Amino acid sequence: MNNNLILFPSMTAVLKAREVLRRRGINSRVIRTPANLRRRSCGYSLLVKRGFDEAVSLIKNENIKTVGIAAVDLS
Amino acid sequence: MIYFDNGATTFPKPRSVINAVTGTMLRNGANPGRSGHKMSVRASEIMYNCRQNAAKLFDLENPENVIFTLNCTQALNTVIKGTLKKGDHAVISSLEHNAVLRPIEAMKERGVSYSVAEVVEGDDDKTLDNFRHALRENTKLVVCTHASNVFGIRLPVERIGALCRIYKIPFCLDAAQSAGVLPISLKNSCIDYLCTAGHKGLYGPMGTGLLLINTEKTPDSLFQGGTGSFSSDRKQPDILPDKFESGTPNLPGIAGLNEGIRFVLSRGVNNIEDREMRLAQRLYDGLKRNREVVLYTQRPQKHTHVPVISFNLRERDSEEIAALLSDRYNIAVRAGLHCAPLAHEQYSTQYSGTIRAVMSAFSNEAQVQSFLYAVNKISKNAKK
Repeated sequence: MNNNLILFPSMTAVLKAREVLRRRGINSRVIRTPANLRRRSCGYSLLVKRGFDEAVSLIKNENIKTVGIAAVDLS
Repeated sequence: MIYFDNGATTFPKPRSVINAVTGTMLRNGANPGRSGHKMSVRASEIMYNCRQNAAKLFDLENPENVIFTLNCTQALNTVIKGTLKKGDHAVISSLEHNAVLRPIEAMKERGVSYSVAEVVEGDDDKTLDNFRHALRENTKLVVCTHASNVFGIRLPVERIGALCRIYKIPFCLDAAQSAGVLPISLKNSCIDYLCTAGHKGLYGPMGTGLLLINTEKTPDSLFQGGTGSFSSDRKQPDILPDKFESGTPNLPGIAGLNEGIRFVLSRGVNNIEDREMRLAQRLYDGLKRNREVVLYTQRPQKHTHVPVISFNLRERDSEEIAALLSDRYNIAVRAGLHCAPLAHEQYSTQYSGTIRAVMSAFSNEAQVQSFLYAVNKISKNAKK
């Protein structure tokens, strides 16, 4: 399964990243980071079903802090 | 009522502000940044949208560098107490509000010293010289007001900031009286920290304030606690805005502040300044014609003043006149020291105080004329 989840340390970072993606036409959804992926954070993640690699690159370019990427099955 | 007490807090607020406060409590009253359900995410979106609009208004690149506080005082305390350490020195101006003076004074107990640079109305070069001479080798912070909350005198803050940059000293601006009234751009500016109230020229509810951080180095946090992030860490997160936003925020207030900032953006800060300055000049000119009136500053002008007028009636107590304006003419102004004792010492009004009239975007010419009529009536009655 391919990666589809970008993990963030805070809600503010998630919303900033979502806005960046939205401006570039990439849809994403805010979810709580699943329990098995939480480390130090009880943070939030962006679920990106299409354009994941571009999304990661765009977020990196904007210097938005992330705490990892992962693959989840939310079907 | 004629409300000219907008220097204390603006009234009325735009209808959109009131609707946002009540609408948030009715429909989006979840705790932002804590849970994952839809209402909590919507609540977080309101906060983020407010950060975005504040960043837009003040030309700040990163919305996460917009910190919500209770008021301007809390923002200033965060910078002052989070920056200065034992053995450090700070510089403030002679027109500071107690929101700056008292936390700086309190830092003396922690081994911090400070100097006061006198502001010279109409002579920015002299003011700059006074700041320059106040700097020491151990100066670690310069804090000053953008404009006096009593006399409306503007400080040459761009130049003071540039001076600080030369000596690599952080510069903190108290914009309580100027935010929403004067254009402020943090991009390419030498302002490291901007502190302001949300409930004055930004038309938000009371209990809202902002700290905008325009530098890489951030102060220590005054409060630590739950942020909804890095919850298993015992240490406070270092990321913004979480570092400075522990505990549940004032979401209804922030929703209102967001609409207040949108109101300012839609009207345009320059338009607001022009309109208020025109009214302030009318008021000043009208007061000047009354021989019983004592004015303390030059005629207010853009670039040198904000639209704030302080005056007295000869040999009359400012509180007494304010009470007469309220009781007989239903006019709201503030009298006394306006929490700025240093400014009153400079103008020798520390015993009388002053009557302060401050307009808002909702003030108009008819109100100014009514105000002048009331002052003239009171001064004539006093002479009889």
